[in-house]
Amino acid sequence: MKIKPKYICLFIFAIVAFIMLPVTNEDYLYTIQENQVFIKGVTFMKDMVNSYGGWGTWISCYLTQFFYYPWLGSTIIIAFWCIIYLLIIKLFHIKGKWTPIALLPSLFLLFNLLDYGYWIYYAKSPGFAFQPTILTLFIALGSFTLKYIGNVFNIVKKNSITTSFILCLIFTACSFFLGTWKLNNHKSSVLVTLTDKNFRHEMRMYRALDEFRFEDVINEMHACKDEEHTRLMVLYKNIALMHTNRIKDIFKTDNNGIRSNGDNALKVKTSLLGAPLAYYHFGLFNYSYRWAMENSVQYGQSFRNLKMLARSAIMNHEFEVAIKYIALLKTSLFYRDWAIERETWIASSTRLLQSEEFQTISPITNNGMKNKLDGDNGLCEKYILGFLKLFSEQNHSHTPFGEDIAICTSLWHKEAYAFCVHFYNYVNNHPNQPVPALYQEGAILLGTDENSPIILDKFKFDVPIANKYNQFVRDYNQLQQANIDHTEMGKRLKSVYGDTYWWYYYFCLDLNFY
Amino acid sequence: MKIKNILSILATATFIVACNHPSVPTNAEKEARLPRIFPDYTEVTIPANICPLNFVVQEGATEVVAKFSYPGGEMTYGDGQKVEIDDVDWEEMRKMAVGQSIDVEVFAKINNTWKAFNPFKIHVAEDSIDEYISYRVIQPSYVAYEKLSINQRNLTNFEEREIYNNMAISTETTGQCINCHSYKNYKTDNMLFHMRQGYGGTMIVNNGELKKIDLKIDETISAGVYPAWHPTKNVIAFSTNKTGQSFHTKDLNKIEVQDTESDLILYDVDKNEVSIITELEDELEVFPTWSPDGKKLYFCSAKFEYKNDSVAKETEMILRYKEVKYDLYSVDFDPEAHQFSNVKMIYNASDSLGQSVTLPRVSPDGRYLLFAQAEFGCFHVWHNDADIYMMDLETQNVQKLDNVNSARSESYPTWSSNGRWIMVASRRDDGNYTRPYIAYFDKEGKAHKAFELPQKDPNFYTFFLRSFNRPEFMIEPVSVSSKEFTKKAKEDAIKAKYANQ
Repeated sequence: MKIKPKYICLFIFAIVAFIMLPVTNEDYLYTIQENQVFIKGVTFMKDMVNSYGGWGTWISCYLTQFFYYPWLGSTIIIAFWCIIYLLIIKLFHIKGKWTPIALLPSLFLLFNLLDYGYWIYYAKSPGFAFQPTILTLFIALGSFTLKYIGNVFNIVKKNSITTSFILCLIFTACSFFLGTWKLNNHKSSVLVTLTDKNFRHEMRMYRALDEFRFEDVINEMHACKDEEHTRLMVLYKNIALMHTNRIKDIFKTDNNGIRSNGDNALKVKTSLLGAPLAYYHFGLFNYSYRWAMENSVQYGQSFRNLKMLARSAIMNHEFEVAIKYIALLKTSLFYRDWAIERETWIASSTRLLQSEEFQTISPITNNGMKNKLDGDNGLCEKYILGFLKLFSEQNHSHTPFGEDIAICTSLWHKEAYAFCVHFYNYVNNHPNQPVPALYQEGAILLGTDENSPIILDKFKFDVPIANKYNQFVRDYNQLQQANIDHTEMGKRLKSVYGDTYWWYYYFCLDLNFY
Repeated sequence: MKIKNILSILATATFIVACNHPSVPTNAEKEARLPRIFPDYTEVTIPANICPLNFVVQEGATEVVAKFSYPGGEMTYGDGQKVEIDDVDWEEMRKMAVGQSIDVEVFAKINNTWKAFNPFKIHVAEDSIDEYISYRVIQPSYVAYEKLSINQRNLTNFEEREIYNNMAISTETTGQCINCHSYKNYKTDNMLFHMRQGYGGTMIVNNGELKKIDLKIDETISAGVYPAWHPTKNVIAFSTNKTGQSFHTKDLNKIEVQDTESDLILYDVDKNEVSIITELEDELEVFPTWSPDGKKLYFCSAKFEYKNDSVAKETEMILRYKEVKYDLYSVDFDPEAHQFSNVKMIYNASDSLGQSVTLPRVSPDGRYLLFAQAEFGCFHVWHNDADIYMMDLETQNVQKLDNVNSARSESYPTWSSNGRWIMVASRRDDGNYTRPYIAYFDKEGKAHKAFELPQKDPNFYTFFLRSFNRPEFMIEPVSVSSKEFTKKAKEDAIKAKYANQ
């Protein structure tokens, strides 16, 4: 039996599309659906259908939910593309070797879906992932119906190959522009989607952090040794280290970070990509709520924002408004269980107190601190570092967790005075116990600082640490005498000293926050 | 024939479903308390012309039935957990019960057992309410804003329409904020609202003619804010404000909106002239509102002296935010000469009570003055302790309107044109989203229990993620179309002149 060329094309296209979507871009599709929302009920439906093409938007929002399981959403959208392909063949009587032409609209729709990159966070049109497909499908079905009526009344005759080709191209152009016109003619981001590794790492780290899988966050960071990390990745990594009681390892991993990529017009901001979750992990619930709200106002409501609004409200004991967000999430296809679990926390304070989220976050909330008016100027990480400084200053250093935070914060800020005070307290609070290597690294460097209030020369440093520091000083001086550029010095010393505090101290300079 | 049969069966089925009134369970167990219903319409007094009070029973029931008994008959409703009343039935019930009440008995099937809750009454006042209200629909965000609209709602049914929607002309780079809608004497042929940022200006409808005015002149702090249209003359009082906002790290009020400077101005609509009413040093004057005879202007003012020259005013204001407390003042106005005189403090809330008064509104008969009061500041919509108070202008007595207030923020009080209804913006539902609440104000000067603006879908407020700000009564709908506003918004604003007095 001979298989018709149109089916061979269809099969190849489906395989390629499947590879391009759930196989290689699983996180991308998951993140798309998380940044969209569908709420069952008339209120949401009315809101959607109020604008032109509203029904298409509403259907698209519903279908986008299926990307929660990327293979499922992909199967649906690929099936639509296949239908569009078959309809076009039928519509334009394309046969034989010309059948691949009919794939063009579907190929453009695939391209369009992958063309968002960081725009998945910024795109304001609800259901954008499915919308071009739905509209193209409507047009194809509409055209097919018209053609059927036309045939009945003998208005449209069979097209020639040339006419079919032209019509098919017009169709392709339509499907392409349907996908991109709302995005203000941004430059193509398909390369970001397909090749920007940090873009993927950020998405994976966010999801892991959202699900409190801290080991996965750290592993993801370790998995990208060759690349320059983004500030967002550094922030996520440090949160994971803090929650796994490994804040002492903070300088063993990279703390330099560049701005997340994306095309220049975007200026990707931490406040949108990760601020609500980051603030939540530091127990700054007002700020977490604030950014989830601001982002939902500016870039549209999403499951991600609703989750953050609900969580922050629960932790703030604003149960009535939390119930509202939970009620909305309960109408979704895939966040229902998540919402029901939170509902039980509201119903039973014991369950809330026993929950992993509460247990993890409660040691670092601002509960013991006084309320004040301030603002973060949209710089989430910078604000968090300022908060940690206050946290360590305000009587939190009596717990082991508080001690670690206090010392590491002073090291991060390179504040010799504060470090020496915390270090002195630490050593006195833990007599006859080994002092962590990081603290010794800090002490050996900052203890000799002129701002140091405490003379640390009587402290017995571990011999390997002292030796390594002396070697670091020698190597540093040697390179300096050889007039090596500072950045180059950092690169050369990184392989040996990159996991020490000294390297951070000398080579992580002028950190920029976004 | 077949199709005809199917259609007739479908039509009959639809008719049966539409007319279906569930029967009252006969074997229900008594539950000696009121049912939990949302919105809470138990023991409320409603206008003689209000739309149906649909509600949802929040008892975790699988089925509910509500029996409405009124003079001359009874009706039952129930669909899942919702009680949605047919418009025609409701009109009949309401008309028959004017001056009396409708008794409502709720039955709920919980764990396969029917429970009968204590009945409650819905009192139907003889007084009607203004047919329309308008409000700004906005997400309760902090700095960001996107989609905003000023909508009007017909209170006798569920019809809602946009007066103006900023998205009609907002783009990425010309985002537009809209606020401060106001009407002259509850009528809409003289009305205004303000647009900020993209295509900024004040949209003023003057005797039906639409103009876009730029009220910011060199002599004033800002364009006009918090407008109050004079009841008889073609002049509008505004405040001018330099406003900033900052964020609470822990306090559940979350946000603090502060004026670092503010004054009062008068805009003469016919002459297109702005004059200064007050610009006292160390005083923050705001929220002007006219007496119904137009011979007095009430406003709020806070004494605030900046003490630290080494920091910016905004910084000092943030550090001392709890010290900012507004008192209530009045100033006499000569409507013919447009002259102000005799500024008087009529309610000292700051020193004597340690409180701050905002948003005064005088009743149409001139007897009472409503205002919102909280511990400090001027933006009580974000203050959970904000409540509505009322001053009897004859006796100067002030009372808290307990029936109108809740544990959460109440602000933006306003009167209906007949003075029998009070409307406030309340956050009592969940603490974050503002909803309009209406309360009956009887001839004895007593405010009755407030009820939430009814919606066709009783779950509407749960699923709607926007606030209703600055609710205002109107006796007629806005006649200028949204399209006309949009067209005018795109034009350049006419610059107001300074009336050098």
